[in-house]
Amino acid sequence: MSLEMMAFPGALTILSLAMALAFIRLMRGPSLPDRVIALDLIATLAVGMIVLYAMAIDQPVLLDVALALALLSFLGTVAFARYLERSHRP
Amino acid sequence: MKEIVSLVLIAIGAALMLIAGIGLLRMPDLYTRMSAATKATTMGVGSILLAAAVHFSEPAIAARALAVIAFALLTSPVAAHMIGRAAYFTGVPLWKGTVINELRGRYDPRTHALESIRFPELERRLADLQVYRLRVPAESVVIGKTLAEIELRKRYNVTLLAIFRGPHVIANPEGDVQLLAGDELILIGSHERLREAVDLIYQSS
Repeated sequence: MSLEMMAFPGALTILSLAMALAFIRLMRGPSLPDRVIALDLIATLAVGMIVLYAMAIDQPVLLDVALALALLSFLGTVAFARYLERSHRP
Repeated sequence: MKEIVSLVLIAIGAALMLIAGIGLLRMPDLYTRMSAATKATTMGVGSILLAAAVHFSEPAIAARALAVIAFALLTSPVAAHMIGRAAYFTGVPLWKGTVINELRGRYDPRTHALESIRFPELERRLADLQVYRLRVPAESVVIGKTLAEIELRKRYNVTLLAIFRGPHVIANPEGDVQLLAGDELILIGSHERLREAVDLIYQSS
């Protein structure tokens, strides 16, 4: 068991903790943009987890999954922002 | 050696992402939360991907990891800007301790077009004069005092052009106007003297 192999569970735990914190913000809000950035952070943390997992099981093909998820989360955030700004008419 | 580098990068990345999570939960308003979350995640994902590039140490895989980093660096600021803009336009409140809100009163609420209230012509001709806009903090010594008592002109050679107070604008205010917490002042004067006047306004009582 290499030193690096022992680091993955620790790093994944830290990322899970960060995800739990982001999830609390997602539930609390209070505004819709707060929830959108919480979702964005959760997606980013998922990208980090996938990359860590790819290293842990030595499967570089999972990096493509990370790329696809990063792309999707960006498009989702942009769509939310457009929708938010357009739906608001003072 | 390779292992140590990738280990250090993983540790940095995980720590930054934890900071992002804590920042997102603990910061007082949306804009500061966004600031904490986006910076730390960009760097966090960046270092974890760099770790992956080092770990697999194959050119094709490293290139893929670098492509994801480049993508994150490009998209994260764009997404943050769009969300921040949408939030500002829809009226998500700023933290009560916010000192400067340079956007206030500068955009058309219907078209969402921004416009500047700088005075380029004036500032070019009077090279050493500047126009400042600042908010009176909640604990300032000037709160409750009248402009005649503060003597901005006499003491600092600084002129108060207008006060933004909630929805009202008090243009060219008289000496008997009292300053309140949260007032936004438009000041004109030389850079150094303006700094002194700003220092006075930021002094807490």
